[in-house]
Amino acid sequence: MSRLLSADFAKLKKNKFFWLCMAGMAVFALFMKIMDYVSMREYSGSVPSFESLLLIYALVIGFLMAAFVSLFVGTEYSDGTIRNKLIIGHTRVSIYLSNLITCFAAGVMMCLAYLIPALAVSALLCRSDSTDFRMLLLMILYSFVLTFAYTSLYTLAGMICQNKALTAVITILVICFFSVASIYISAKLNEPETYPEISALADGRTVTSARQVPNPGYVRGTQREVYQFLNDFLPTGQSVILTRGDTEASTPLLPVYSACIAVAASGIGIFIFRKQDIK
Amino acid sequence: MEYILTAESLGKQYGHFKALDGFSIHVPKGAIYGFAGKNGAGKTTLIRLVCGLQEPTSGSYTLYDSKNTDPGIAKCRRRMGAVVETPSIYLDMSAEDNLKEQYRIIGLPSFEDIPELLRLVGLGNTGKKKAKNFSLGMKQRLGIAIALAGSPDFLILDEPVNGLDPQGIIEMRELILKLNREKQITFLISSHILDELSRLATHYGFIDSGHMVKEMSAKELDAACRKCIRVQVSDIRALTRVLDEMGFEYNIFSDTMADIFAKVNISQLTLALAEQGCDIISLTEREESLESFYVNLIGGGNRNE
Repeated sequence: MSRLLSADFAKLKKNKFFWLCMAGMAVFALFMKIMDYVSMREYSGSVPSFESLLLIYALVIGFLMAAFVSLFVGTEYSDGTIRNKLIIGHTRVSIYLSNLITCFAAGVMMCLAYLIPALAVSALLCRSDSTDFRMLLLMILYSFVLTFAYTSLYTLAGMICQNKALTAVITILVICFFSVASIYISAKLNEPETYPEISALADGRTVTSARQVPNPGYVRGTQREVYQFLNDFLPTGQSVILTRGDTEASTPLLPVYSACIAVAASGIGIFIFRKQDIK
Repeated sequence: MEYILTAESLGKQYGHFKALDGFSIHVPKGAIYGFAGKNGAGKTTLIRLVCGLQEPTSGSYTLYDSKNTDPGIAKCRRRMGAVVETPSIYLDMSAEDNLKEQYRIIGLPSFEDIPELLRLVGLGNTGKKKAKNFSLGMKQRLGIAIALAGSPDFLILDEPVNGLDPQGIIEMRELILKLNREKQITFLISSHILDELSRLATHYGFIDSGHMVKEMSAKELDAACRKCIRVQVSDIRALTRVLDEMGFEYNIFSDTMADIFAKVNISQLTLALAEQGCDIISLTEREESLESFYVNLIGGGNRNE
């Protein structure tokens, strides 16, 4: 498999879309961090915290990898070059794993392309007095495992669907759907259990009373447990948790769920790919 | 005879459609094996199976003495190259980068033979031009260069002259003949362009509806398609005596009929036979083209596969 990895990494090095994603992530990081600093200075006179907007790439990486993996793996089918690997006698398992490893490495590099400039700006312009660096490091590691889960799912789609355009459309639509679902679930879970009673007076003014009333939108019981599980389990849910920098929600279960998804997706992918007729 | 590729009772089914059914093939070492058949006859299916892109539904094939079910078949495949349907090349890379990529896949440590390989296929001057900007002929030649990386001794080419202009066809033919003569590479070339195959092939296999209809050498095919006089006589023994005396080459295929492969003086032959008490019943001049031989062989007409 080392020969396949060497070939795939050489191909990655020449891949324009990969370098475009890397540049895009770096520019995105600088833009977000500098705009955060400027707006904080302008509106509150303070500086943002070190970890502010540091993990926002966790949401972006899902979309970016959907496009990247579809194109990178799909090119093997559209250009027919996967045949060269099979004809020369490489096993299907090693071809699959080589693509998976290369795409994961590309995903981690894209994360680093955001993190490195973002950390540099944080170090220069932000306050770090209240930052829990250990937790921050853990969340960065969680984001890498999450990237592996995304890569595994997209590699599964890319390797079993021999149409590059169709793979790209499917993966992007799926990530869009699950992102919206996860944002909805996260919003429902973050609803307050109660809220202060507000009364409107006849002259148009409002009065807030000290009395708390139950929030009808608050999710309770089994429904809350299901929502909580989906929020933690779905990669898009984990993206939302990491993007929000929600340290309380970032349980050690998140990377376990991601690892389970990655192993299951790769297992299914290899099983199908081994039996698949290649044209 | 030593064979590079053999298959017995090979079958491949897509749903209810049998692309190959009880198929057999014997590709001798050092041959240019012309694999002829109509579109949809099963040529590409066989190539996909041999290249390991698909698994047979039934039967087996043997590549360099390794059966397709042996784990060692992967090692055998390192000795072969193939261009299946369209050339398998990265369109966003130059010819040189494509070959470097293939060298890495094979695990060749040095890229120093790449310029020579590119010159061999006539792509020595393409520089940094990307494969997507190549003509169809150039892409086909790059596909062959990729198949040649790793110095295989068996090359499979699926419709190599499809879509090429006359000059491209001539260059492709010369390249195949050169590789066969100079590097002793065995070729399996599938095509439905019989005229082109006849300029290259040393052996033929005719496939129809997933069956191998006939395998023969080029010599046998030439004999089958040779210009001759078909004669029907009352006494075949008398005919053989007369033909032997005249020193003509002939082929007897029934009690009354024979083909004579020579320019015959009909008057002399008639007189000589009359002396032996043998009558000529009929006499016709025959010349079969490769196309008519092929059409007769596979029954022609029925294209409802």
